[in-house]
Amino acid sequence: MKKKHIQHLYWRIGFGILPNELNTLSKQNKKTVIDSLFKASKTVTLLKLDTPQLDDLLSGSYERTRENIKKVQKLSREKTKQLNVAWIDRLANSKALLREKMTLFWANHFVCEDNVYNYSQQFHNTLRKHALGNFNDFVVAISKEAAMTKYLNTKQNKKQKPNENFARELMELFTLGVGNYTENDIKESAKAFTGYSHDLQGEFVFKTRKHDDGLKTFFGKTGYFKGEDIIDLILEKKECAIYICRKLYRYFVNDTIDEKNVNAMADVFYKDYNIENVMRFMLLSDWFYDEKNMGTKIKSPVEFLVGIKTMVPVDFKKPKQLLYIQKLLGQVLLNPPNVAGWKGGRNWIDSNTIVMRLKLPSLILNNAYISKVAIGTSNITEETEKLAFKKQYGKHFKTDSDWNYFNNAFKNIELKDLGNYLLACPINETANTYLNTLKAVSKQEYCVQLMSLPEYQMC
Amino acid sequence: MCATYVITRISNVLIMDRRKFLKQSSLASSLFFVPSFVRAFEQVASSSLGYKRLVIIQLSGGNDGLNTIIPFGNDLYYKARPTLGIKANDTIKLNDEIGLNGSLTPLKRLYDNGHLTIINNVGYPNPVRSHFRSMDIWQTATDSDKFSQSGWLGRYLDAYGKQPYSAIEINDSLSLAMKGETTNAIATQDPKVFYNLSKDPYFQNIHNHKNDAHLSEHNLGYLYKSMIAAESSAKYIYETSKTVSTTKAYPNNTFGKQLKTTAQFINSKIDSKVFYCSLNGFDTHVNQLNNQKRLLKTYAEGVEAFVQDLKDKDSFKDTLILTFSEFGRRVNQNANVGTDHGTANNVFIIGDQLKKQGLYNNMASLSDLDINGDLKFEIDFRTIYATVLNKWLEVDDKKILNKSFKQLDFI
Repeated sequence: MKKKHIQHLYWRIGFGILPNELNTLSKQNKKTVIDSLFKASKTVTLLKLDTPQLDDLLSGSYERTRENIKKVQKLSREKTKQLNVAWIDRLANSKALLREKMTLFWANHFVCEDNVYNYSQQFHNTLRKHALGNFNDFVVAISKEAAMTKYLNTKQNKKQKPNENFARELMELFTLGVGNYTENDIKESAKAFTGYSHDLQGEFVFKTRKHDDGLKTFFGKTGYFKGEDIIDLILEKKECAIYICRKLYRYFVNDTIDEKNVNAMADVFYKDYNIENVMRFMLLSDWFYDEKNMGTKIKSPVEFLVGIKTMVPVDFKKPKQLLYIQKLLGQVLLNPPNVAGWKGGRNWIDSNTIVMRLKLPSLILNNAYISKVAIGTSNITEETEKLAFKKQYGKHFKTDSDWNYFNNAFKNIELKDLGNYLLACPINETANTYLNTLKAVSKQEYCVQLMSLPEYQMC
Repeated sequence: MCATYVITRISNVLIMDRRKFLKQSSLASSLFFVPSFVRAFEQVASSSLGYKRLVIIQLSGGNDGLNTIIPFGNDLYYKARPTLGIKANDTIKLNDEIGLNGSLTPLKRLYDNGHLTIINNVGYPNPVRSHFRSMDIWQTATDSDKFSQSGWLGRYLDAYGKQPYSAIEINDSLSLAMKGETTNAIATQDPKVFYNLSKDPYFQNIHNHKNDAHLSEHNLGYLYKSMIAAESSAKYIYETSKTVSTTKAYPNNTFGKQLKTTAQFINSKIDSKVFYCSLNGFDTHVNQLNNQKRLLKTYAEGVEAFVQDLKDKDSFKDTLILTFSEFGRRVNQNANVGTDHGTANNVFIIGDQLKKQGLYNNMASLSDLDINGDLKFEIDFRTIYATVLNKWLEVDDKKILNKSFKQLDFI
């Protein structure tokens, strides 16, 4: 497989690739490379934190006192922050690249959050479990997640007083997209999801007495539909396969949809709604490696952050700072803006985030310096400003970066070729000319310079 | 050792030469290095009129409206709040029935001067009691069963803002309210830091005016365009705002600093129309009395200093301040001498050109509550937005709120 294609593949299903691995893979053909990707993602390694206090609080003897609720919420807030950090770490270090990247994708598809940590951890792992599985099973599992029944009020959806929130988002956001159902379809399907609830530990509970077991008319069919039946009926529509494939295409291939390619994907997906199959089809197709699809997507903040970590392992001494950076960049994992998730693409970028993105590599890897100005050449005001700047921002970012790892990984790569490994697209002429004037730097410094280019924001 | 030194020296000389070259060639005609669309922004800025400004103050966490504007004449109030109710004598009386929380003395002075309108019982249909969701609803101005990925001020920016800094949030990152479909506002706590962050010479050296014609055609071009616009905005905000300095003393807290920065922006005649500040901590489930007292004091003292600062520079007449919180709190106190999440709340409008000063409408009924024991709202908050957009910012409110709302007559 061509090196360029492998790099493209790894930008999209991972966070970049180091020279050694690239070399090894370049000796294999495309099918072998992609087969091994799926193989490496076969097993599901759940991401779980120890939560003895929470488990205890949420055990059978739990009393719903205000004090207990407070405790659960406080512990949950702490644990959610820890899960955020652990997740970033997982993304940067997992062998199951594809499964992890898909989990990240689904987290912005089945958007949910909860203030009880155990439920959100369970939800998070449901995404991981089903990330490459059957979509029908996936939707059913999501509909029964404690966190989801809370987030979209299925818990309050009762025969006597239906709540349409989940039914609406199920179709609008999770499966079909606007325009493929009527208001009446929402009303009728909401009845099928009545009685959904969960126990204290987060297990699904179906409350028969709260369930509306009457006839429902949905998509022109009438029956005593349950939630699962509604999901079956939705997936019978080809629009569902198309909707999901469009989303996959936008995430993994290009912001701009090519209908022909999406339809080809949907044909594969509609057959059995097997996510692995459609992903394999996409990654094996020639168009995935078209020039117009390479290096043209804007990285999400998490792709950007984890991408840096993939090249230069960097640890935040204070986990809080890792969260703070996510906030500044506009994407805090486990804390989505609303049920529609992050818009992505150009919407990641505004005046604040672009400046932060360009400055971040130097801030966390190189004491805020991009191109170092040696003694005697800089003017004093500039240095003073830099110091003042460091004082302001330096306190936020206490990091340990493992440059040995980087230097070792790139030891056989010539400095001038570094860009081919760090960037997914060519450097614009002006920047290139400028970089050439700065030649006498170390690989390490050159890496920071490259990462400080807008080009580094592309994947 | 020696060799390395020489090489470094040579490269330094090279860099210096290039710097000099850049300086000499670009200083005289620095405009050539600024893409044309940025220049267009700056020209608009310099020709700006002395126009009206809107300052939003968000009280995050759900301020307890009933202990802010206190219906001491209503027995039901004390019945619902046996230990949390504030006694008549501890309030600052506005009339025989209603008083302000005791820590709002500065606000009372604004009230006495006709600078304050209190709109009671503001909310929206089918209220949501989650902080995040309800804050979203207030910030996006959508119905409570719909969601939107753009905020009402962001959509104002889309339609009427000329540049990102048409709206500035005094914060590290942007609230949803300030994000549009195509344009986002600027967030900054300290214009100098933002400017320093953006103006690394490295960024100026990697782009060139020649490619600006194609800048937004593809994603990479869009990034370059955004980078240049950010540099330009940061520079503009910093250089404009540093022309004024405030001698006025503000309370020494984060909120006070936010308002001080806002006043500096406004007094410098910066070409921005909307400013966004916030004060956190109003989620008073436990031991509410002292916590809320402290917060309201911070609020009122900050706002009074802010108004005075604007008055001193003759900018108050062109400024309208709108204070809101995502919801009010339950009428009944809870077991921890606090209150739980509720619904309708009061909104404060502060300005020099208020049509209806003081209490805009009656207090909420405490006998006719919803099934949760919460207030039933009377005024949809979007009618306030619509009024502010239409009568103060003088724009088409329907276009921004995607719906027509009744206009109120407080301005």
